[in-house]
Amino acid sequence: MPIFDLKDANAGYNGRAVLSNVSLRIEKGERVALVGRSGAGKSTLLALLYSQRRRGSALIPQDPGLVRTLSVFHNIFMGRLHMNGAWYNLLNLARPMRGEIEKIEPIVARLGLEDEMFTPAGELSGGQRQRTAVGRALYQQGDVVLGDEPVSAVDGHQARLVLDAIAEAHETVVLAMHDVELALAYTDRIVGLNGGRVVMDEPSAGLTRGDLDSLYER
Amino acid sequence: MGQGWKPLGNFIRNIALPAIVSVSFVTAALAGDFVFTAIPDEDETRLRQRFDKVAVYLTRELGVKVRYIPVKSYAAAVAAFRNNHVHLAWFGGLSGVRARLLVPGSEAIAQGYEDRFFITYFIAHASTGLRPADGFPAGIAGRTFTFGSKGSTSGRLMPEFYIRKHLKQAPAKAFARVGFSGDHSRTIALVQSGAYAVGAVNYKVWANEMKAGHIDPAKVSVIWKTPPYPDYQWTIRGDVDTVWGRGFKARVTRALLDMTDTDLLASFPRKSFVPAKNSDYKPILDVARSIKLID
Amino acid sequence: MRRSQRVSTSFGFLGVGLFCLVFADLSVSTLDPWQEMARMARGLVTPDFLAVDRLGEALLQTLAFALVGVALAVVAGFGLALVFHVRVVRWGCAFVRAIHELFWALLFLQMLGLTALTGILAIALPYAGIFAKVYSEILEEAGPRAANTLPAGSGTVSAFFFARLPDAFVHLKSYTFYRVECGLRSSAVLGFVGLPTLGFYLESAFKQGHYSEVSALLFLFYVIIATLRLWMRPRLVPVYLLIAPFVLAGGAEISLDNIARFFTHDIVPYPLRSAEVLDISAWTAFGTWTWELLADQALPGIVATLVLTQIALVGSGVLTLVFFPLVSRRFLGPVGRTAGHAFLVVVRSTPEYILAYVLLQFWGPSMLPAIVALSLHNGAIIGHLVGRFSDELALRPDHPRGLNLYAYEVVPRVYGQFLAFLFYRWEVILRETAILGILGIQTLGFYVDSAISEIRLDRAMFLIVITALLNIAVDGLSRAIRARLRLATTPEIQ
Repeated sequence: MPIFDLKDANAGYNGRAVLSNVSLRIEKGERVALVGRSGAGKSTLLALLYSQRRRGSALIPQDPGLVRTLSVFHNIFMGRLHMNGAWYNLLNLARPMRGEIEKIEPIVARLGLEDEMFTPAGELSGGQRQRTAVGRALYQQGDVVLGDEPVSAVDGHQARLVLDAIAEAHETVVLAMHDVELALAYTDRIVGLNGGRVVMDEPSAGLTRGDLDSLYER
Repeated sequence: MGQGWKPLGNFIRNIALPAIVSVSFVTAALAGDFVFTAIPDEDETRLRQRFDKVAVYLTRELGVKVRYIPVKSYAAAVAAFRNNHVHLAWFGGLSGVRARLLVPGSEAIAQGYEDRFFITYFIAHASTGLRPADGFPAGIAGRTFTFGSKGSTSGRLMPEFYIRKHLKQAPAKAFARVGFSGDHSRTIALVQSGAYAVGAVNYKVWANEMKAGHIDPAKVSVIWKTPPYPDYQWTIRGDVDTVWGRGFKARVTRALLDMTDTDLLASFPRKSFVPAKNSDYKPILDVARSIKLID
Repeated sequence: MRRSQRVSTSFGFLGVGLFCLVFADLSVSTLDPWQEMARMARGLVTPDFLAVDRLGEALLQTLAFALVGVALAVVAGFGLALVFHVRVVRWGCAFVRAIHELFWALLFLQMLGLTALTGILAIALPYAGIFAKVYSEILEEAGPRAANTLPAGSGTVSAFFFARLPDAFVHLKSYTFYRVECGLRSSAVLGFVGLPTLGFYLESAFKQGHYSEVSALLFLFYVIIATLRLWMRPRLVPVYLLIAPFVLAGGAEISLDNIARFFTHDIVPYPLRSAEVLDISAWTAFGTWTWELLADQALPGIVATLVLTQIALVGSGVLTLVFFPLVSRRFLGPVGRTAGHAFLVVVRSTPEYILAYVLLQFWGPSMLPAIVALSLHNGAIIGHLVGRFSDELALRPDHPRGLNLYAYEVVPRVYGQFLAFLFYRWEVILRETAILGILGIQTLGFYVDSAISEIRLDRAMFLIVITALLNIAVDGLSRAIRARLRLATTPEIQ
């Protein structure tokens, strides 16, 4: 039973086609990178995958989808709203609970956000926001994570730490990435998109940087 | 720790709870006073001050607490009377008839000395060339015309009756444009400025405005006077005797008829009050029915 | 593409407005306005604060009705906004806000009498409908991205309080603040029908030509509006609300009998009141009653209302574009802006009714005074909002100045917002035409007012419902146009 199974899928905005005849199967435990030029359809493909299987999937969108007036703590806590009752969630909104803080502290520390735990997300830098969004996905602990450029605004060393954390927390990983080196290093399957079509689908092992260059040609 | 999200708590504490508390307090009411009102028709300045004096007089005469409440319109006065928020009211001819139809058992108990033969003046701007005459001024047809308030006897009911009678048409058809100024003083101002060519006005207000120097006889003048008709009166609810004791209605009537203080009478303004009864206003009811202002 | 659609819509409305001018009666018939105008001018410069009976009380009551009414509406509107997707709620809200607060006051006067609750509900009811709609729109527009990332099964309540509310809060707050100003205006205007607010004395004084008293009341009201930001502090709101009942207390008793009578007798059409259900002649009479009301009052009323509304809408738009630079940081220095603010406060806080009456003295009875009064009033309100919006525009440092700045940089950027405000205001203008019946313009409001002054509540209710339906239609049209002018942002999966 595959986790995702698309057959000849099409998608678009306002009548303009973005994906055409995309077929894609992803099995449990796979680590997949979606690569391609901007506008190739990666984000749309991720959105399509997410709409297929929302339950159990954690999403890290490109726009990090944070609530600007809430703190890093609350934004991360939102990853588990579904696991608590509404009253518990509301109480924790008005006044963070000791237990929740203790659970979220290690995640915040791992992402290097320990000083910003109670800073409103709107006051963070771009990289900090992105890490907060990752924190939300980590806390959610879904068996699948769908990430759209989750480390694009994070610098090299920290990017690797963040990707390690993502890989550890989720069984199945699908990440759209523009950094080819990182894609090769952290995933075991590369799906290349160009002009809304799947033009490459191969295991990472054995692929080199150069093999992917063709994806970036018109 | 100050780490929670504040606005919601603030909203509940600062707005939601106080609002609910506030509204529940507001519904508490004063009850038990004998309340009267007067339709706002002539001089509206310092209404409260003037009528509070009348309330003091009635409190003394009747031995119960009497309160005056001001109202803004004929309809509001009738509604308050009907809802038993007001037990005694100084109505116009038409509003009194309406109120008594709506409140069975209510009675006209006194009227102003002048109200037995009230008159409406038709006034016209000088540019119309209309001259004062004894007969109905048929020359007003086709011009612009303003009544006073829609619910007024002298500013609406009687003039409309005579217009229909003599011009054989509804005002909206008989004139180029029909307006309702809302008030007698304003009718005078509008005709004086030429905004309307002709208007209908309560004769007592005309006299007051003339005395106050607000009227320029070169611009606006009276062109016709209606035949006399009964107008303002005091009307009392039929159930006052059961609430305030037997004979209460009679005592109120006496207190009104005995009012001799010119200062108090000037509030109305009337020379004195004389006895009245419902049947005195039969002509008003007939006229109102005939021009379909009452179903 | 998007721009041109906005521009073509604007020209469409301009065309409709011009077309309506053909049917509008715009004749100028006054011969000699100067004597009355001189008295008004004299009154304006010699305000007499002592002439007003119980001025302080009227002032406090105006504040109390406005604050309690708006606060109640905020609470109810917020609750309704949460369930606004339910069709019945949406329709109910459309209906209550489609009726002008003056008409609500007149209806409540019949039911509850001159009680404090009459005034509070007259404000709270339509405002709750407005809040429900606007709050739900603000919440919908806030944070769809955050909501989209929530884990499946987060629950509507949690999702709402975490993903929607926090980022919407600042917008909710600023909109609510704006409505407080509207609430004060409404509260003052409720005096026209008898609640003891400033409008009570304003109308009396105006009617009788005591213009020094009029100007005293107006000045006082301008000061309240102009200083709103100073005294309207979140921390003080509970204090105000808890003092309010003491200011408002002392009304008459609320009687359930009166309320029951209102529903079971007063608003039942006259021919059906005492008839048996199967009485054919009563139903025939009811048919005639309905037909006469439709043909003689409702239909001509609708035409006059729409003609006046469409012209006034265009007029408001044109004046907005003239007015907003007066309060914009982009065009004027602090001194100029203060003068601009003062001007707009005066124009927007003077009740339309008073503006129209002053203009009536100039031009005589026709649609003209009403059009100009409505355009000035609404132009000043939207101008104020657009001016504030333009302050927040980020312009490049080397931007052009003067007319070029206006035409090339500012107007194109505020245009979308300008249209949005204008279309929101559309239904408000429609409602406001109601209270200008005094000018002899026989709008729907004129006939409603007539029916109420004849104590024919059945007719009044019938016409009010028609007015409400017309409002709902305009509201729907305005929503459709606003939606069409905005590009879709959600992907459609094929």
